[in-house]
Amino acid sequence: MGFNPLEHQGIPLDRQLRSWRELDVEPIDPDRSDPYTRCRIITMNGIEVEAVLFSHQFARHCPDPDVKRQLAEVRYIEQQQQKAVNWLLPGLASVLETTIAYEQVAVDLTGWIARHEPDPYLKQAYEFGVLEDFDHLFRYANLYEMIEHRKADAIVENLTEVMPGRPTKFHHRHPADNVREPYDRSTVNPLSRLHALTIMSAEQQTMNFYMNVGPQYMEPIARRLYQEIALIEEEHVTHYESLVDPGETWWEQLVNHEYNECYLYHSFMEQESDPKVKAIWELHLNMELEHLRIACDLMRRHDAREPQEILAPELPNVLTFEPNKAYVRELLDTQMDLTTLGTGYVRDAHERFTRMQEAVHGGEEPPSEQVMAQHREMFGHEYRIETEGEHPDLASRERS
Amino acid sequence: MAGIAASDADVVALLMRQHGDIRNLFDEVERTSGDERRAAFRRLVRLLAVHETAEEEIVHPFTRSSVPGGAAVVEARLTEEREAKELLSRLDGMDTDDPKFLPELRALRAEVSAHARAEERYEFIHVRRHADKARLASMATAVRTAEKLAPTHPHPGTESAAKNLAVGPLAALMDRTRDAVRSALGKEG
Repeated sequence: MGFNPLEHQGIPLDRQLRSWRELDVEPIDPDRSDPYTRCRIITMNGIEVEAVLFSHQFARHCPDPDVKRQLAEVRYIEQQQQKAVNWLLPGLASVLETTIAYEQVAVDLTGWIARHEPDPYLKQAYEFGVLEDFDHLFRYANLYEMIEHRKADAIVENLTEVMPGRPTKFHHRHPADNVREPYDRSTVNPLSRLHALTIMSAEQQTMNFYMNVGPQYMEPIARRLYQEIALIEEEHVTHYESLVDPGETWWEQLVNHEYNECYLYHSFMEQESDPKVKAIWELHLNMELEHLRIACDLMRRHDAREPQEILAPELPNVLTFEPNKAYVRELLDTQMDLTTLGTGYVRDAHERFTRMQEAVHGGEEPPSEQVMAQHREMFGHEYRIETEGEHPDLASRERS
Repeated sequence: MAGIAASDADVVALLMRQHGDIRNLFDEVERTSGDERRAAFRRLVRLLAVHETAEEEIVHPFTRSSVPGGAAVVEARLTEEREAKELLSRLDGMDTDDPKFLPELRALRAEVSAHARAEERYEFIHVRRHADKARLASMATAVRTAEKLAPTHPHPGTESAAKNLAVGPLAALMDRTRDAVRSALGKEG
C-alpha cells in the first residue's frame, strides 16, 4: 500500500517552531559524503525556496488578512526548514564545487523525471532541458580543474558522466521561443504536476544561485562563464514554469506545493544513506503533513472543492537519485541538434534563433567556448569523465 | 587577455591550485596502501611543508605589511597552521599502515582544508586587491621556485630515497625551501 499524505497526521503547527540550537545542523563531510545526499539537499533547498517565494506572492495577491496571517505562520516554518536543509552544505566547499553539485542535480533529477513522465509533451520538455544542464556540468568541471586543480570526479564520483551535451553557445534562444504550452489542469496526471513543480523549483534555485554567486569570482573567465550560464537558467525557468497550467487557483497551487513537499521528503527519507540527514527528511515530512492539511482546509473553504479532485490517491513511486547514464547517452545520440520554435522543437537554425545568436555572441566565441580553449591551453586536453565508452555523438568526441 | 592560462604569473592562482594538489594527494593516500601509500604520503608531507613555508615567507609578509588589518589576518592563519603542523608531526613518525594512521590523517585533512579555505577567503582576496600585477608575478616566481622541491607526482628513483625521510629531514626541507624562496625574492627585488 502506498503512502497517502492525506491520511497521516503531522506535527501541530504550534509545535514546529525550532530554537537556534535545533537549527544548528551539522554539515555533511565535503570529501566523503554520498554525492546523492548532497543532491537531495540541494533539491530540497530549491523546493523550500520555492515554497517561501510562492507564499510571498500569494500573500501579495491575497486581500483576506486571516489568510495572510495563516500563510505567514506556515511560511516562517518553511523558512526554518530551508535554513536547516541548506545549512547541511559545508562551508569548506568552494562555490564552484557547489555549482558542480547543482549541475549534477540538474542532470540526474531531470533525467529521472524525463524517464518517468507519462505525458509525451512534458517528457520532451525535460529531455530537451537535460542535455543543456549536462553541458553546463562539463564546462564548470573544466573551469574547476583550472582554478582548483581538482577533478570534478571527486564531486560526482562516477555517478554522472562529464562530457559535452548540446553546446552551451546554442542555448541562447529568442526568449519567446522558451515559452512552452501548459498541461491541462482538468486532465493532467497528478504525477505530472509534481514533476513540473519540482523541476521548475530546482531550476529557479539554480538561477538564483548563479545570479548571486557569479560575481564572487575574481578570475575573469569564471565571472563570464557564470554570467552566460545564469542567463540560460533564466531560459530554463521560463521553459519549465510555462508547463504549469496558469488556470490553477492560488488554493490549488498551494495544495500542490505542500503535497509535492510531502512527496519529496518521503522519497528522500526512503533512500537516504546518511542517518543524520535522514532524520531531517523525516522531521520535515511530519511538518509538511500538517502544512498540507492546512492548505487543504483553505482550499475547501475558499475554492469550495475537495483537494482529492486534484491529488493522486497515494504518493507516486519514490523519486530517486540514481545514475541516468544510458538514458542521457540515448538523448545525446538523438537530440543534440534540437532547438525550439514557438512551443515546439525543430532541428534547423531558424531565423529568429540565428538573429538572437548573432546579437548575443557579437561575433565572438562565448565564455563557454573560451573556458574550453583556456583549459586546452593549460592541460592540452579537455576534462571529461566517460565511464561508458566514447561519446555517442561523433562530432562531440575529443579531437586529439 | 588575462585568462587563467596566464595566471601562472599570479601567486594566488598558483597557491589555490596547490590547495587542490594537496587535496588530491590526501585522496591518493587514503585510496592506496603499503608502499604506494607510504610514497604518496611522503609526497604529501613534502608538498605541505614546501607550500606552508612558501606562504610564510612570501604571502604572509605581504599581507602583514600591505593589507590594512593584515597582521591580525596572518595571526589567525598562523594559529591554524600551527594546529595542522602539530597533527602533521604526530603523523610523520607513524607507520602508514598503522590502524591509527587513517583517522589521524583525516583529522589532518580537516584542519588543512579549513586552513586552505580560510586563506582563500580571508587572506588571498586581500592580496589580489592590494598587490599590483608585477608583485603578484614576482611572488608567483618565488612560489614556483619552492614548488620544485615538492614533486606532486612520483619520479622514478626519488621515492625510495624519500621513504626514509623522518622529522629531521622535513625540517631541513623547510630550511631549504626558505633559502630557495629568499634567494628568488632577492633576485626579483
